Amino acid sequence: MDEDFDIIVVGAGFGGSVAAKLCADAELKTLMLERSENVGDKVISGLTIPFQGFLFAPAFIRDGNPPFERPADGIVNYIIKDIDKGDIEIDDSLKVPKPLSPIIAFGYNTYCKPFCQWQARKAVEAGVELRTSTTVTNFIKEGEFIKGIITDKGEKIRAKIVINAEGSQGILAIKAGVREKYPPETISLADTYDYVMRKEDIDKIFGYSVKMCWGWDEQKISPPLGYGNGLMVWPYRSSIHFMQDQCLRTDQKSVPNLGKLFDEYHHNITSKMLWWKDLVAPRAKLRARMWEGFEIYVGLNKKLRKMPNHTDGMILIGDAAGLESTELCDGVPAAWYSAEIAAQVAIEAIKANDVSKAFLKKYDNKIKAHSIIQWSIKGRNRYNLRIAQQEHDIKKLKKYIHQGWGLGSLTHFTTPFMKLLLAYVKEDPTIITKWIKMYFRYYQNWLHENYDYVKKKVIKVRASKRVRKKERKFLSTLRFIDLIMKSMLRIRRVLKIIIIPLSNSLNTLMRKSLPIIEPINSAIIKLLNPISNKLSNKMIKFVDKANPSIFYVY
Amino acid sequence: MVKTFEDFPGVQWIEGAGEFIKINDEKCIGCGNCVKVCLAGCFEVMEKKAKIESLEKCMECAACWYVCQEEAIIFSWPPGGTGYKSDWG
Repeated sequence: MDEDFDIIVVGAGFGGSVAAKLCADAELKTLMLERSENVGDKVISGLTIPFQGFLFAPAFIRDGNPPFERPADGIVNYIIKDIDKGDIEIDDSLKVPKPLSPIIAFGYNTYCKPFCQWQARKAVEAGVELRTSTTVTNFIKEGEFIKGIITDKGEKIRAKIVINAEGSQGILAIKAGVREKYPPETISLADTYDYVMRKEDIDKIFGYSVKMCWGWDEQKISPPLGYGNGLMVWPYRSSIHFMQDQCLRTDQKSVPNLGKLFDEYHHNITSKMLWWKDLVAPRAKLRARMWEGFEIYVGLNKKLRKMPNHTDGMILIGDAAGLESTELCDGVPAAWYSAEIAAQVAIEAIKANDVSKAFLKKYDNKIKAHSIIQWSIKGRNRYNLRIAQQEHDIKKLKKYIHQGWGLGSLTHFTTPFMKLLLAYVKEDPTIITKWIKMYFRYYQNWLHENYDYVKKKVIKVRASKRVRKKERKFLSTLRFIDLIMKSMLRIRRVLKIIIIPLSNSLNTLMRKSLPIIEPINSAIIKLLNPISNKLSNKMIKFVDKANPSIFYVY
Repeated sequence: MVKTFEDFPGVQWIEGAGEFIKINDEKCIGCGNCVKVCLAGCFEVMEKKAKIESLEKCMECAACWYVCQEEAIIFSWPPGGTGYKSDWG
């Protein structure tokens, strides 16, 4: 039987459910199709969703209680010069300083499945019809227009717009003639291991920090010449996630023997790295091994970057639109941002009764104007790591690590970040306090495993007078911030003259001032360490005992 | 029916996926790239042509399809609700 919808979303991953929910919120009749039996069955990643993802996420994620496994406050980097002689340099300077950390995290480590399921449930609650175990095999086409989809059961379902969130492979988009297959050197295969470990052991060995390993080619602990990432290990609540990866082609000619290479990397890391051998191995039990290909250098190729992300009657989002992060290897923020933009454009198009390529071009234009998406897909930093590894240049390697994940990122991230931040503040001056509440709420949720749909512990509100006093202080501080922000809006015309040129030149400013700021910053952090630790512990205790309602956004 | 394999813990395969990857014999030159990248051992090369040995451990990553320079591999998604699944991705 033929059916009609306003919107069909193909794929219920990180992007798909967001697009579907936002369309249903606008009262569009929305269908979301997912090929797996349960949402999230087939999503594989080692994953820290970075802070900017959450700050600029659709409101229901930012202001909600999504499930995650552990906040991440930094990265400990192991630079391996000679693994057999134990010549390994450890750089643990990439940390959010206390007392900000661990409440102000740089990201949140997450299993894909529960997170995608959380999003899909939000979509269904908004009115989306979700059909799982349904593979889309083709589109219904009338002339140049996509008018719906055809499923593996032969059903033809019509819709005004199809939002394609099928993932990196892009099988459907290629079939529709909108995009081309990515060359293998732009794709990396992520070989992922999941280990069960006691929470107390993870707290001690990892704390809130991700561990990354980089090494000279002959050490064979990561891809030769840096074709792919180094090794990454993410601490979760009571498990750890281990990911090694390797590009599918290394010099536009050679296709590596991946099985052999991965065995070699894994063996070297687990038997020669002392922190793994002595600390992790006796306490960890392998629970799962799986793999998935992901876009690693797609954004660096201008031709691939310029492929259209829309056609008559269809919009592509997230990985399907090549929006994985070349800079940092985290595709979730771009999936969320592009899903929200796609939903906005789709809603406008249906209202205007125009779903043509000409109208939907708005989507591509907005993606091109999104400062963080563009920074994220064009960034060359991670690619540059390969040059440093090839040249055995420790100075360069450290520089690129710092430019990717440390203070060095301020030299290229500050302007795009500030541009987006200003746009959000202009739209909603109370956004700053929403962000503060988000950090505190997320941390309290982590402490109590208190997420929507999965409440493992009930937060008892029996706060002492002292905690109540702190709660009042917290809320009055937030009210004060809101007041300041609102009053600043009144003089926004004056501010515009100063702030916009300033934000445009922030990257340059940071490039010039970082050599001075960096040593001062580390000296201050060192000096204030005892006070910062105390303050951080006090904040943790407050968040633990505080009434959750003070962190809610209404 | 659900299958599991000792060498790949934490992953299940729901039967019924069928032949969702196919090889076009006319295009295949037997270069063996698909064999090199497949961690599930789905392929073998016999008489200078790649053959599918078994898709029962396939995790649908499409690495074989990406590296096939002759476009001899035809990759499609398995039917809804079949193929691999995991809780730990």
